[in-house]
Amino acid sequence: MSIEISGVTKRFGDFVALEDVNVSLPTGQLTALLGPSGGGKSTLLRIIAGLETPDTGTVAIEGVDATRLPPRKRNVGFVFQHYAVFKHMTVAKNVAFGLEIRKRPKVEVAERVDELLRLVHLSQFAHRLPSQLSGGQRQRMALARALAVEPTVLLLDEPFGALDAKVRKELREWLRHLHDEVPVTTVFVTHDQEEAMEVADEIVVINEGRVEQVGSPDELYDLPANDFVMSFLGEVTTLGGTQVRPHDVDVATAPRAAGAIEGTIARMLRIGFEVRLTVLTVAGEEVSVVLTRTHARGLGLEEGATVWLTPAPGATVVPAMRPLAV
Amino acid sequence: MSSASATAVARPARLRRPGSGVRPTSLTPTSSLSLGIAVTWFSLLVLIPLSALVVTAAGGGWDAYARALTNGQTWAAIQLTVGQALLVTGVNVVIGTVIAWVLVRDQFFGKRVLDVVIDIPFALPTIVAGLVLLSLYGVNSPIGLHWANTERAVLLAFAFVTLPFVVRTVQPVLEELDHDVEEAAASLGASRLTTFRRVILPSLVPAIAAGAALSFARAISEYGSLVLLSGNLPFRTEVVSVRVLSFIEGGNTAAAAALASLMLAVALLVIVALDLVQRRVARRG
Repeated sequence: MSIEISGVTKRFGDFVALEDVNVSLPTGQLTALLGPSGGGKSTLLRIIAGLETPDTGTVAIEGVDATRLPPRKRNVGFVFQHYAVFKHMTVAKNVAFGLEIRKRPKVEVAERVDELLRLVHLSQFAHRLPSQLSGGQRQRMALARALAVEPTVLLLDEPFGALDAKVRKELREWLRHLHDEVPVTTVFVTHDQEEAMEVADEIVVINEGRVEQVGSPDELYDLPANDFVMSFLGEVTTLGGTQVRPHDVDVATAPRAAGAIEGTIARMLRIGFEVRLTVLTVAGEEVSVVLTRTHARGLGLEEGATVWLTPAPGATVVPAMRPLAV
Repeated sequence: MSSASATAVARPARLRRPGSGVRPTSLTPTSSLSLGIAVTWFSLLVLIPLSALVVTAAGGGWDAYARALTNGQTWAAIQLTVGQALLVTGVNVVIGTVIAWVLVRDQFFGKRVLDVVIDIPFALPTIVAGLVLLSLYGVNSPIGLHWANTERAVLLAFAFVTLPFVVRTVQPVLEELDHDVEEAAASLGASRLTTFRRVILPSLVPAIAAGAALSFARAISEYGSLVLLSGNLPFRTEVVSVRVLSFIEGGNTAAAAALASLMLAVALLVIVALDLVQRRVARRG
């Protein structure tokens, strides 16, 4: 295990940012810390980097206890949401910074900077100032700067959070490719479940200072440990007191299946290939159902019609135990 | 020459934009009007009087000009003024930056009071400043420092009135600096000292240069705060402004103007030099 976090608690005044967090992050993988804003995921990342000190607990990086080490001695690369560029230095100088303060020979520094700028597709911008780059380019530069010192772990704090949706999506795919090329242990913080599921090998779901679940994207989606994880990873609706995903609800126009719940279609909304139904059950529940246009047409659904609902066979179902946090 | 020098003196280095006014542009009626007002106002106040000064100085011909400036007593005054002004500017660059740092980065009792008090030397009528200094460092000094009628009196007065300049130019820049940037440097392996030297200081240099320019310009023109304490002794503690006044009182307007135009050139030189430093830093990688 590359990063071992045990018993970490962190308070800011009365606010408990992290409470007794225990996580192991495997070497060479891309791990996402996923959760809502203010849930403590950034604090955990900053504790790994040494930018915050935990009140209790320990952090070990590659078997070395790093709890009391200052950031500069941890050999950790950190990428900030707002890039944290050195404004007065050119792109090449920014990337060279970590190597220069390690007093590496000039030739070696120049070679390594060239190589990294090629890796992040910024070679032709080497002599520009960061202010002449777009947000996405600045973030790629920041990434090259962090990778320059060959860190043991690479930490990214909401790296694409300040970028627009299109660039975000591009960079996300690009980060995945980059990680396949340079397989350094990488941890990134995000509140975007789609981003986490698309990029990460493993996801750690953090909410209200606690780890809710650790697992692969598929495990989390198919076997959520609780209703928080289930609702955070995708849309949910309540059917007969259990939580189920709207596209996992079977709709029938006659009471065929045993235990099917009867209701009437209160609203029907079509968006492209998708049809969204709001069904009012006899018990007074409001159930959201999503099905394809073709399927809905085949059933002859319309507003006011009576339907019978059941969770689809093999659907992920979690009992609704506490009010939704999202 | 006079109009160019006047522009540079009147505008602090940091406010100048590269290439401003180079490209011909068409103005809207509103901006034509405001440009007209600005130029008229500036001409009446600065350009025309400065031109008049240079004309007066040149009135006696080059001989009179050279004679006025090579006079031993005048030369001593120039050396004292420029030397002490450079010294005090150097002191302000260091101390001013430290004070700005303390005001922005540290939390301590009385911080807000200090933040307000910093401006007092600047806001005080200069003759009052002179009285303040006289009471502490004069003949009846309660702390036993008898600096009246010495070179130190000049330095002290300069330091007193120029204290706020570097502090006030550096402070806002320091407040705007991203904390992220320092954390990034630390995570890349930089010690606090390296981070300060390679990341923070370069961001502050333009502000420090602007503050230094203001400080130097104010120092070479200082009069009120030092006349009481320095004693105005010829060859020892007499500064340029006092010398100019005595020329005028003696009816020698041409010599006064010659000396004044020389100081104008010195101010211009230093401000341009600081501007170049600032531009080099801004451009450097």
